[in-house]
Amino acid sequence: MSAYKINLCVNGKDETLDVQGDETLLRALRRIGYVEVKLSCEGGDCGACAVLLDGVAVNACLMFAAQADGSEITTVRGIGTEDDLHPVQEQLIEKGGVQCGFCTPGIVVSAKVLLDENPEPTREDIQRGLAGNLCRCTGYKKIFEAVSAAARQVNEGDGS
Amino acid sequence: MEFLRAASVDEALAAARDGAAFVAGGTNLVPDVLFGRKKIARAVDISRLDELRFIEEADGKIRIGALASVTDLLESELIRTAASPLYESALEFAGPLVRNRASVAGNLMDASPAADLAPPLLVQDAVVELASAEGERALPLSEFFLDYRKTAVRPEELMKAIVIEPLGQEGRCAYYKLQLRRAMAIAVVGVAVVLRMKGSVCAEAAISLGAVAAVPYRAQAAEACLCGKEIGVAEIEAAAEAAEDSARPIDDVRASAAYRKKMCGVLVRRLLKKALGMPQPVAV
Repeated sequence: MSAYKINLCVNGKDETLDVQGDETLLRALRRIGYVEVKLSCEGGDCGACAVLLDGVAVNACLMFAAQADGSEITTVRGIGTEDDLHPVQEQLIEKGGVQCGFCTPGIVVSAKVLLDENPEPTREDIQRGLAGNLCRCTGYKKIFEAVSAAARQVNEGDGS
Repeated sequence: MEFLRAASVDEALAAARDGAAFVAGGTNLVPDVLFGRKKIARAVDISRLDELRFIEEADGKIRIGALASVTDLLESELIRTAASPLYESALEFAGPLVRNRASVAGNLMDASPAADLAPPLLVQDAVVELASAEGERALPLSEFFLDYRKTAVRPEELMKAIVIEPLGQEGRCAYYKLQLRRAMAIAVVGVAVVLRMKGSVCAEAAISLGAVAAVPYRAQAAEACLCGKEIGVAEIEAAAEAAEDSARPIDDVRASAAYRKKMCGVLVRRLLKKALGMPQPVAV
């Protein structure tokens, strides 16, 4: 198997790593410590591995790591910090939108881009925006409530 | 597996040999490789070939670059207004995370019987532009799918664009994806219809079906029930029956073959009425 040297900028940090040609971006990110990007279905069905690739939300399991060479990657850890949470993160806690938490990193990524593109989403907009993210615990109700509340928070100007 | 990023179309074509496969969005190919469904010696990455990512009007037609993403379709005013069945199919396509990466060409090259974009492209007389080191050729989409997951594209050929006929003033159309949920679902049946009307007479009729045979296809017998006629209830019933007769579906986890076959008739009837603005008891 051939190895390839690639460069990524993950959450603002430059990373150089060797990857196999058929290694997925998801597996490569986890191998170098970004385990907040969750490995679940590896088939694009669940969205637990969602990251921003040059600002676009994608499933990290559905691309070869080598395809991402030179790209900026943002994981859930690059969206808000423990001291300064993104409104989506704050409201997921507030509304009880997190149970086991496994889907949460992907939900945060999808919800963040949804609000960036559409600051006043309807319930259907939120459902469609999170359509690629499965949650097996919450039944989605509290997640949708959290995203609605985060939108209100952003629009009232007390979010980041 | 060897990995090679192509910096140009020519470089991609030169690398397309010895068990190579092109990879664009990767949404089909990557899990196929990961789970051993496909063995490839070399992946030729074409995802950065921006010259293949466009949606434009050219010579009265719509040209969609092979690497236009499904999200690009949704963001295109041209697609929304002049190819609305394609726009609607993009809305029902997987979820945002997949739509951002999945390319139009990839959905066709994967050659799933349930490829969401195939029925709407078929009814707008899509022609695919293929290139290889030997030159270029144009292939009608109606001749593209040969059998289950088998296309007429040769291994060394690269799809560059998909050209469709825009829907003009006279175009009446409708699309429906029958699915078990509203997102991330493989179609149970996909149907697209386009009627080109000259006054009250149907000059051209196009009806396509997906997920009900080994390949997505144009239901020509159903189209013949409408072409050159003033369309009333009798013509619609005949077309619906012909569409149902044409289906050769399978039983699978999503639906039985019998159900799929029956739904071909039901959906063609409903979509024809919808396209023509005729009253019907059930909205689609």
